[in-house]
Amino acid sequence: MNKEKVRKIVLDIIAEIAPDEDFSDVKPEIRLRDQLDLDSMDFLDIVMELRKQHGIDVPEAEYRQLESLDSCADYLLPKFEAGAAA
Amino acid sequence: MPAISKDKASEHHDVAVIGAGLSGLAAALRLAMFGKKVILLEKHYVVGGLNSFYAKKGVKFDVGLHALTNYPSPQSGKSSPLLKLCRQLRISLDSLNLLPQSHSRITFGSENLLFNNNFDFFLSQVEDKFPKERDRFQSLLAKMESFPAYSVDAEELSTRSILKESIGDPLLSEMLLCPTCYYGSARKNDIDFPTFIMLFDAIFRQGLARPEHGIRAILGPLTKRIKELGVIRRMNCGVETIKTEGGKVSGIVLESGETITSDQVISTCGAVETEALIDPPDCSNSPTIEGKFSIMESIFVFPGVPEDFGWDETVVFFNDSETFCYDEPDGLIDLRSGVVCMPDNYGEQVRDSAQKSKLRITHPANFDRWSELEQPTYESEKNLWEERILDNGMKYLKNGKEVIDSFRSKTTFRDTFTPRTIKKYTGHANGTLYGSPQKRRDGTTAFENLFLAGTDQGYVGIVGAMLGGIAVANNQILRPG
Repeated sequence: MNKEKVRKIVLDIIAEIAPDEDFSDVKPEIRLRDQLDLDSMDFLDIVMELRKQHGIDVPEAEYRQLESLDSCADYLLPKFEAGAAA
Repeated sequence: MPAISKDKASEHHDVAVIGAGLSGLAAALRLAMFGKKVILLEKHYVVGGLNSFYAKKGVKFDVGLHALTNYPSPQSGKSSPLLKLCRQLRISLDSLNLLPQSHSRITFGSENLLFNNNFDFFLSQVEDKFPKERDRFQSLLAKMESFPAYSVDAEELSTRSILKESIGDPLLSEMLLCPTCYYGSARKNDIDFPTFIMLFDAIFRQGLARPEHGIRAILGPLTKRIKELGVIRRMNCGVETIKTEGGKVSGIVLESGETITSDQVISTCGAVETEALIDPPDCSNSPTIEGKFSIMESIFVFPGVPEDFGWDETVVFFNDSETFCYDEPDGLIDLRSGVVCMPDNYGEQVRDSAQKSKLRITHPANFDRWSELEQPTYESEKNLWEERILDNGMKYLKNGKEVIDSFRSKTTFRDTFTPRTIKKYTGHANGTLYGSPQKRRDGTTAFENLFLAGTDQGYVGIVGAMLGGIAVANNQILRPG
């Protein structure tokens, strides 16, 4: 697992949730909300898909760690690695 | 293999959902999407609740669907709740094959306001017909935009009093109340302000459309998905009581005598109706107020298209005078106002020789009066009123008086439902369309593991019902922590 793969996983989840969005030019360092039309219901879905597909829990207080693809990668990589090691 | 499903049903479930209407189906699907073991209990033998379907003499009918509101018109951009709904249920908007309305009309005596799926057109209509109200109407729109209508704790103010303060010409107020009340008010002669705003947005800012294949286009994919995700669906399966113990639901007893257990319960059968199932009866909380508003609708089937009679409109909201009365009538039915819908005037008209079209006319009706009739009288009154509804409805259609005889002779089939029919198929007390005037938006009840979804949450219409079910599933059950 590496940060690139985590970014890909998150983007795939968003594509599943919001298939009507254009993902060709998503900038990893910019907030997802500023580039895509995502609301709080969509972010809740990202969290729930992470739990369902990868067994990763994101507590509500830490949702803002998911604001951009880069911050997702920083925040989620250790969780993916911990999951793989377990 | 019924034996297997019975074994599965007798297991313990994460969530039991009572009612396979739109809110129950949407809630069950959301829960199943995220791994909950769900059992869905439906009293009737088809899904859909108030928005169901049937066929008679080879003609397919939709029960509730006059219009799917919230059409994401180019102007309303991505703000339509219908888009949120599609995302939450992972349905593509394209799969619904939405056909937009041609245009519709609100008609009060001699005054008309037209609207289509372009909000600017409606604004220009208001400006043309009510030039003196221009500034006041703009301030009303601003007030509506700043009001937190979509929030769960929005204050349920009276729209009538707000319109009285905001608009000078009472006729404009009445004309705004008419379509919004008909499409979702459980209150007598009024509508609460948040619901008014939601419906105003849904009807005028967004717009009206119809899936090409009617309500089946929504119900079909939903039932298929919940089946794939392992939701246990039990049809013809009425609930006898909801057993409670220490402030919690402990089990659901079915009419068959079987008991179902689950961690959580979502009831979509209505607040009053759910309270009536609670066992032992809950005496510590005051009962929810019963709603009274119900309707009668006649559907006339004829060969050809509405355009053959010069009818190019989709929906006509009509009222015979300048004052709109939205209430349970004293008699069987109130002909003073109603709604005409021509479902074949969505999208392009089909002109092949086999084409059959429908004219639907809806009026407020009195549940008690219809219920006390003996069967033969009930049938004869139904036929009598069917004729009166048609005669009266023609007054509001172009050339109606001239074409009525030719229309009547061309009609190949007609069907009418009354408040009694609504009670029979939805279980709603008093055959109400929109449930109790008392709403519980967050779905919570006096019991910690029992939630309400659907009509009595106060999110109305097909889109509202489904989003309501989704919100309860998300916020009360799925939300982590």
